[in-house]
Amino acid sequence: MSTNAKLKRGVGVAALVTIALTFWLGLVVTPPAEVMGNLVRMLYIHPPMAWIAYLAYGITTAASLLYLWKRTRRREWDLIAAASAEAGVFFTGLTILTGSIWGRPAWGVWWTWDALLTATAVLFLLYLGYLALRQVPMSETKRGVRSAIAALVAFIDVPIVHESVYWWKTLHQTPSVLNPSMNVEVHGSMAWTLLLGFVAFTLAYVWMVWTRFETSRRQAQLADLEVENAIRERLSAEEVRI
Amino acid sequence: MTLADEEFSEWKTVEGPGRSRAKLIRSLVVLAVIFVALGFVLFKGATNSLEYFLTVQQANAARAKLGNQSFRMEGVVVPGSVDPTPAGVDFTIRFNHSEDRVTEIGNPPQLFQPSIPVVIQGHFQGNVFVSSLIEVKHSSNYVAEHPARIKNAGGTQG
Repeated sequence: MSTNAKLKRGVGVAALVTIALTFWLGLVVTPPAEVMGNLVRMLYIHPPMAWIAYLAYGITTAASLLYLWKRTRRREWDLIAAASAEAGVFFTGLTILTGSIWGRPAWGVWWTWDALLTATAVLFLLYLGYLALRQVPMSETKRGVRSAIAALVAFIDVPIVHESVYWWKTLHQTPSVLNPSMNVEVHGSMAWTLLLGFVAFTLAYVWMVWTRFETSRRQAQLADLEVENAIRERLSAEEVRI
Repeated sequence: MTLADEEFSEWKTVEGPGRSRAKLIRSLVVLAVIFVALGFVLFKGATNSLEYFLTVQQANAARAKLGNQSFRMEGVVVPGSVDPTPAGVDFTIRFNHSEDRVTEIGNPPQLFQPSIPVVIQGHFQGNVFVSSLIEVKHSSNYVAEHPARIKNAGGTQG
C-alpha cells in the first residue's frame, strides 16, 4: 500500500472514530441544556455540517479560480472543485435535514421562509445546478471553464447565508461559534463536544473529497487512454493497408 | 457494406463530447427543473424573508394600516400571563414596553414557556392578536441545565 493510500485510510479511520465519539459524548455524556433540554443534542451535528458546507464551497471556489487562471490551469483543479462541490451539496442537504428535525420541536415548524433558511435552500439549488451543469456533454476545457464560472457565481450566496441573521429579521438564531465577536456561546463539555463534531466532520469531508478526486482522476485517465488506444489502433491499421 | 466499412466497424469507438443527444436532453431537463425550483425559492424568499416579522412595538405603531391583515409579530411571552384554553393558549407578548394580548388557536410548540421570545402569526381582532402559529425563537446561548440555577430575575428557584 502506498503512503498516499495509507494516509487516506488513516483520515477515514480518524473520521469514523471521531464521529462515533461525537455521538457518544453528544447522546450520553453531555448534559441537557437549559430551555432546550435534550433537543440540544442536535447542536453537535447541525453546525458542524453547515461549517463543512461553507468549507466545501470555499475549496470549490479556490480550485475554480486556479482552473480559470491559465497559468495554473490543470485538470486536477477542476476535479477537486467538482469533488468538493459534491461533498458540499451532501452536507448542505444534511444541514437542511438536521435543521428541520431540530426545528420541529424547538421552533414548532419543520420549515419556515426566513432569510437564513431561504438563502440555504438557494445555496443547495445553486450547487445542485453546478453539478447538473457538469453533466451537460461538452469538451473537458469548456466544461471546466463554464462550471468554474458557475462556482464563482454560486459562492456569492455563502456570505449571504452566514450574514442573513444580521442583515434581516430571522427566526433562526445567530451563530453560537462563528459569530463576529468569536465568542463561543456554548458552555462546558457541550463546547468540547461541539468542537469534536467540527473536527470529525472536517475529517469526513477530507476523506470524501480525496476519495472522489482520485476516482474522477482515474476515470479521466482511463478515458484519455481509450482515445489514445483507438487512435493508435487506427494508425497501425492504416499502416498495414498502405 | 464495403470491405473498408467492415474493417472500420471492428475498430474501437470512443464516445466524443456532445455526441450523446439523449444525455444532453436529460441534463438540460435537470437544469430546467433546478432553475424552476430556484425561482420558486427566490419568490418565497422575496415575499416572506425580507420582512419576516414586525416587533410588537412596530405592529402597534402600524395597527391602523395593518387592519385584519395576517402577519408575523415578535416579542417575549410575559411571565404570569400564560393561560391555557380549550382551543390553545392565551398570553401576553411584550417588546420594548409595548404589549399585546394574544389568543392562540392550536397547540403551542414544545419549548413554549414564559419569558421565551416567540414569533406569532395571525391578525388583530379588536384589542387581541389572534394567532394560528407560534414559532419559538430560542437564543444561541447553550448552558447546561442545573436544577438549582436561579431562573427568574425575581429570585425564584427551581
